Amino acid sequence: MVRLKDLRPTATLAESKFSLLQSPYFISNIRILGILVLLVIGFGVLAPGFISVASLQSILVSTALFLLLALGETFVIISGGIDLSIGSMLAMSGMVSGVFMSRYYNNGSGTTIALLGLIIALVVGLIGGMLNGVVIAKLRLNPLIVTLGTMGIFEGIAELISNGLPISNFPPFLFVLGNGGWGIPWLLWFTIAAVLFYGLLLAKTRFGRYIYAYGASKDAVVRAGVNTTIHATWLYGLAGLAAGLAGYLSAAHFETASPVAGSQYLLIAVAAAVIGGTTLQGGEGTIWGTVIGALIISVLQNGFVMIGLASFWQLVAVGVMVIVAVFFNELQRRTRIASAGRTADYKAQRKPFGRAG
Amino acid sequence: MEGNAIFQVENVTKSYGGIHALNHVSAIFGEGLTAIIGDNGAGKSTFMKILSGVTKPDDGKFFLKGQPVHITSPVEARRLGIESLYQDLALADTLNVYANMFLGRELVRRIAGVPLLDERRMARLAAETLEQVRINIPSVHTMVRNLSGGQRQAVALARAIHFNASVLLLDEPTAALGPKETDSFNRIIMGLVQGGKTVIMVTHNIPQMMDMANRVIIMRAGNIVAEVRPQDVTQEDVMAFMVGSRTLITD
Ligand SMILES: Nc1ncnc2c1ncn2[C@@H]1O[C@H](COP(=O)(O)OP(=O)(O)OP(=O)(O)O)[C@@H](O)[C@H]1O
Ligand SMILES: [Mg+2]
Repeated sequence: MVRLKDLRPTATLAESKFSLLQSPYFISNIRILGILVLLVIGFGVLAPGFISVASLQSILVSTALFLLLALGETFVIISGGIDLSIGSMLAMSGMVSGVFMSRYYNNGSGTTIALLGLIIALVVGLIGGMLNGVVIAKLRLNPLIVTLGTMGIFEGIAELISNGLPISNFPPFLFVLGNGGWGIPWLLWFTIAAVLFYGLLLAKTRFGRYIYAYGASKDAVVRAGVNTTIHATWLYGLAGLAAGLAGYLSAAHFETASPVAGSQYLLIAVAAAVIGGTTLQGGEGTIWGTVIGALIISVLQNGFVMIGLASFWQLVAVGVMVIVAVFFNELQRRTRIASAGRTADYKAQRKPFGRAG
Repeated sequence: MEGNAIFQVENVTKSYGGIHALNHVSAIFGEGLTAIIGDNGAGKSTFMKILSGVTKPDDGKFFLKGQPVHITSPVEARRLGIESLYQDLALADTLNVYANMFLGRELVRRIAGVPLLDERRMARLAAETLEQVRINIPSVHTMVRNLSGGQRQAVALARAIHFNASVLLLDEPTAALGPKETDSFNRIIMGLVQGGKTVIMVTHNIPQMMDMANRVIIMRAGNIVAEVRPQDVTQEDVMAFMVGSRTLITD
């Protein structure tokens, strides 16, 4: 006969405090923050002008656009998928919105036209992303393949509506948004708002929790009663929405919308997420990590220029950072498996990008 | 049949192409532990999946505490108070203990009208449940992938307990566990049984069931071939029913 009192209770009630310290990402976020700080100090020593308000502000501005892409990409990668289409999505939404604005702008500051343009860019991004999500979830197709396809489609559409030419002739208010500011550039206000929105959504809501859960175990989410089709639709939709905002801000900042805008951002967006601790196996990552990852990339880019190194070195450095980050993730995973030797980790050995349905 | 009928199924039938996985199976489950045993392919898992809403039967009726119910999905089963532990557990490895326990049923609190996860309350309630059933887990903040197989089972079990399931379905829950972990898992189950739960457990461990179960259902080739009380039969009798050298149905 079993006597329950023989068994020792060990789960204690006192542990519900200090939720920040209990986050599994606390240590790793501190670690990459340390790397960022070291890089800033290092470049500050090597290039005296590096630590100045102007230089730091230009680093932040150059981070903004690809960080926006990286926010959505972080969501998608944590869910166990990948979105290759967000670069073209940036171009497409920037173009659609740009064509609208240049066609309907006559004179004056064009505030209304510029704000309508923002809404159009957001809607185009959201819908394009949702299409990705529906196709991936409903048809149970591999996200890598689906978004590789839509990457081409979105870029094609961007070329088509402008015959492949960049457009400008935008309302002056747009340039204010892209290059003016209130204390700090408007571009950064938009980005900060997006970071807070995506960060809150991921860390503090049910929707965010299911992103992690889906990346860790699709079965768990399905059996928990979550409608995975709807979830995937919004998930990819939000990645598109962020790309739409980036497309609009890119047009505003560079004062032109081009069908090839953003093509260079896809890989650095993925890199920012990976450097920030998001693992391609899914189930792990944070927005804060991605923000730090994006800043590391920008600091490298700008710092290399300032110390007078040829720009391809910065590509090499970012590439090395990505591989090192993936290597450390992998190392941790292997130690975990080796130290435990248990069945629990069999799921972690899945190939990445396995999301289907 | 001791106690009241908590969960009753009638005429449950399921075929896969030409294979009759279940042939008009009827059974009544009361409080306590009912063990389901049978050879490989006897239809045990199919039966459990139908009871938990994962698989749709071709035919069959279900009654919970006398009321007819439709178990159309795992979510519906849960709503009815039927919780199951799957062999693969369906835990999200990178989420912690309480996040798994509350998956799909997260507690939220509204801040400026926005429903945000109430992590503290979930952590506290999870810790309370674990303590109540004396489940040995270092912290509810531990990522599930850092737990042992037995602890993972315990988390899945704690989930069922917390949401106050009246019927618990277990399909070979200890198949992947070592002897010690199996032992402590079985103790938790016995605690639940003493607390008045209806537990239905598929297992291959006949000696263990002769010790633990209140009733043993023996399946063969998609049929229930016998339903016995462990004290009325020997292990040899049970084996004989399993392989078909005896076909008498007793109670
Ligand atoms: N999804 C399926 N598709 C086709 N046939 C199936 C399916 N699921 C089960 N079967 C068949 O139904 C029969 C019963 O299978 P089931 O898994 O219920 O057996 P079991 O009693 O749980 O066996 P075991 O002890 O090996 O777990 C088997 O012949 C099996 O091959
Ligand atoms: Mg089985």
